[in-house]
Amino acid sequence: MSFKKGIIMKVKDLIRVLDAEVLCGEDFLDQEITDFDASDLLSDILAYSKDDYVLLTGLTSSQVVRTAELTGAITIVFVRGKLPSQEAIGLAKSHYIPLLKTDNLMFTSCRKIIEELIKEEKNK
Amino acid sequence: MNANYSKEKLTLVNELIYEIKVKEAMSKKVIFFEENVTFREIQLKLKEKKISGVPILDDERNIIGIVSIDDVITAFDKGYVDNKIIDYMSRKVITIPQNFSVVSAIHELERFGVGRLPVTESSNSKKIVGIITLSDILNRLLVVVQSIAEKVEDKEIKNTQISHDLIKSIVKNPLRFEVKGDDFDNAGRVASIIKKYFQNLGIDRDIIRRIAIVCYEAEMNICLHSLGGSMIIEVNNDNNVVIYAHDKGPGIPDVKLALKPGFTTATEKIRALGFGAGMGLPNIRHYSDKFEIESSLRTGTELKAIINLGVKNEIK
Repeated sequence: MSFKKGIIMKVKDLIRVLDAEVLCGEDFLDQEITDFDASDLLSDILAYSKDDYVLLTGLTSSQVVRTAELTGAITIVFVRGKLPSQEAIGLAKSHYIPLLKTDNLMFTSCRKIIEELIKEEKNK
Repeated sequence: MNANYSKEKLTLVNELIYEIKVKEAMSKKVIFFEENVTFREIQLKLKEKKISGVPILDDERNIIGIVSIDDVITAFDKGYVDNKIIDYMSRKVITIPQNFSVVSAIHELERFGVGRLPVTESSNSKKIVGIITLSDILNRLLVVVQSIAEKVEDKEIKNTQISHDLIKSIVKNPLRFEVKGDDFDNAGRVASIIKKYFQNLGIDRDIIRRIAIVCYEAEMNICLHSLGGSMIIEVNNDNNVVIYAHDKGPGIPDVKLALKPGFTTATEKIRALGFGAGMGLPNIRHYSDKFEIESSLRTGTELKAIINLGVKNEIK
């Protein structure tokens, strides 16, 4: 999902919107998001994602961080309360990618983000 | 430590509590008393050190009893607090040998509802070498878990260093990397180095993404499906990035079929990683300007992908 230029959401806004916990990368929450991708399939992430995007996923292996890093993600949100492996956290730290965790389901997380974006646009 | 890296943190902790020995987690400084002291002396020590019990040892450090804060309170209550403990202390002591895993310690702590376990030298010795509490175990776990993350971090920093060093080499020199088969821990490492390399050359982000993804998919193919191989990346005179991925087999029986989006031979293990959607080769074809693949059941698979850097990304 892409949104029009000018509607800006920052990584730190996600903490509020998704009631998320920051697992690492506290110093890099000020980045601006330009796109979102929600997927549990690495191949799909590789096929469709764009730079400066936020990845929502239920996968927790270090490969998901590797995929995110290579495709230009600026944050990964682990949905449905899943915790990534320590290897994943280490990899994310070394690439300065913040990891967030939310108890919301994938669908709920997406809905909340979209509602927030619509709200932001109305307020403009 | 040989944890299977795709597992969740909880599983990791589960594995660790079996791997970490009591010896590694226990405190070696044991506060203890001999049997000729009074309850009051013990009470003062418990208060001073903020602990809830002490083992009673003989002159060879063999355990003969234990006095807890509950015993002291009972002594106050019944009026024998100034008496020697020798006649009152409980002689049934739960201990744990130092070579047991911490999971046994956790079980014993829970089963007997105690806060601490004196640690013996071995199963058939009563000599005390340490003492272990739940918070000792927790502390040790945190240290180990933390060090796993740091190890990965260090390795990645080294990868960055490698790409920095590559910059110093002449651009026209091809870069060559070995890729091991079935090595999931390092899968993606080459792609990561290549991405950093081109980032440092100041190439357009969109093109870097395409190079990174092609490298990653090709690397994953070698890692997931072959016996190992190598990757060569070079910039040729036409300002093209050429990515060669070669593996030692077993080869693809039907290349045409393998190129079909969605076709996959991935195992459960591969799917658990989030791969195996049958998009690897189609993705490589999609992101390259030119793409060739040849495969033989005798010599393995050779893949060549070309990505043009465009005029504004010319490398001198």
